Amino acid sequence: MLSRDEIIAMVSEVLQQEFDFTSEELKLDTHLVDDLDLDSIDAIDMAVRLEERTGLHFEDDDLKSLQTIRDIVDKIDGRL
Amino acid sequence: MIPLASRVWRVLVTGFSFALFGFGGMLFALIVVPVLSHLPGEPRVREFRCQYAVHRAFKWFVRVMEFLGLLTVEVRNAERLREPGQLVVANHPTLLDVVFLVSELPQADCVVKQAVMANPFMRSAVAFSGYFANDPGDALVEACAGRLAENRTLLLFPEGTRTDDGQLGEFRRGAAHVALRSGRPLRPVVIHCHPPSLMRGQRWYQVADRKLRIVLECCETVAPEEMPAGSGRGAAARRLSSRLRDFYAKRLQNLDS
Repeated sequence: MLSRDEIIAMVSEVLQQEFDFTSEELKLDTHLVDDLDLDSIDAIDMAVRLEERTGLHFEDDDLKSLQTIRDIVDKIDGRL
Repeated sequence: MIPLASRVWRVLVTGFSFALFGFGGMLFALIVVPVLSHLPGEPRVREFRCQYAVHRAFKWFVRVMEFLGLLTVEVRNAERLREPGQLVVANHPTLLDVVFLVSELPQADCVVKQAVMANPFMRSAVAFSGYFANDPGDALVEACAGRLAENRTLLLFPEGTRTDDGQLGEFRRGAAHVALRSGRPLRPVVIHCHPPSLMRGQRWYQVADRKLRIVLECCETVAPEEMPAGSGRGAAARRLSSRLRDFYAKRLQNLDS
């Protein structure tokens, strides 16, 4: 069972490793498309990494509903 | 010839060229595709035949436009496009970029807009040539990499669309993903149109004041760089796409000057 802070740290780590972002670029309200320029392929890569780390499964509809880093954290927090 | 007469002539022959393209597309759909569809062969061979017919038709269309005095096309290092199984990428300054490029590529798989797939005069040729619709996502990248694995040449425009001012736009990362997935280097073709014309949002009758000079420069390949262990493919695609855009910006600057 991960705490919310641990989930935030994990999501940040995944985004840094997968896309070369710096921690300064990644805030809870950072928008995945407008600020980070994530596209549909990036979203799949991100989901695969998060699934590996959490054991959760993200459906396409889950990915489409994610707008910000906070949304990812909420989604994981609500299911772990 | 005085400038006004020259402009009127240019509008007339431009209109004629657009009409010719539409009429030619209709004939292609009504005659060429049905004939080709009745020839024997496995799907790959039939697609190659249709792609070759599109190549010949576009070559002829370019010749007509050159004959009419609308433009000149100079292809530099054209021999670099001869090898099959290449991932050819190009910038997209004008409406006719795909025409110029396919006229140099006897076999090329293309990714086309949904609007083209739905166009009644073009959809049969597009489908019979084995072209892809530009659906977003991983499936398209996988399909493109599959074509390259079959040693087929693939043509992509990383900008996705033209810009309003003819300048280099932002690059989407699909071409970089295809290069990384397939392990093939990118073969950049730099397209330069002087003066800028046939841009997005421009009407067909908004013609340039002189003959267009189109340069297609086929460049050395750009290969993905080694990534540090632990880096994701998303990061690799961003780096490769960024390098490719920098490459185009420099080449276009050189051509401008």
